[in-house]
Amino acid sequence: MTRFSAGDHVQVLALGKEGHVRIPHYIRHQTGRVTEYCGTYLNPEDLAVGNTSGRAVDLYRVAFLQRQLWPDDAIPAQDTLIIEIYDHWLRSVKETENAP
Amino acid sequence: MQDGKGPKGYHDVGGDAAGEIPMVELPWLHWEKQVEAIRGLLGDGTRRIVSLDEVRRGFESFGVEKYNTLSFYRRRLEAMTDILIEKGIVSRTELDRAIEAGKVRWSDLDEKL
Repeated sequence: MTRFSAGDHVQVLALGKEGHVRIPHYIRHQTGRVTEYCGTYLNPEDLAVGNTSGRAVDLYRVAFLQRQLWPDDAIPAQDTLIIEIYDHWLRSVKETENAP
Repeated sequence: MQDGKGPKGYHDVGGDAAGEIPMVELPWLHWEKQVEAIRGLLGDGTRRIVSLDEVRRGFESFGVEKYNTLSFYRRRLEAMTDILIEKGIVSRTELDRAIEAGKVRWSDLDEKL
């Protein structure tokens, strides 16, 4: 049983982690919607320091409105960015007005 | 960090102003393909000697100056050899010796051509 399903509203956390992480700065704190569950993968934060025996974590594809990410009125309102985010970087949020 | 979004590495440039994008197709050089091939073998599921994330961690700790001086594949190559040495899989001496041997081999070939 995964924590999120397609259509769920989520917010990206800012975990304050040093070292190699796969969650770019610009997406932290943003709210979006899960589009797809991608399966479980070894945590890249563990792999980055040579630890291949860590727990596998769930990975999701999450969609965000481009307009919400970049303050530019020229961006079409329906344009989205889809990015893969690991479970521990996400929290559940209630409906948001600016999620796709 | 002030904005509460946590650390932002020098490599994490998504959304930063970058000026004009040069629309030029870069060639994929033979040695660059070799770097990728070796990295693929070192990181595959049966070996797990050096993972791609380790390589990333490597060039993300180069320091911004070195990082910006090197090309995409040079970064990967440098980081990969750093990690092989860090893990004691090859020594610096072995690597230097192999590079010297390679140089001799190539210069011999140049003379024959």
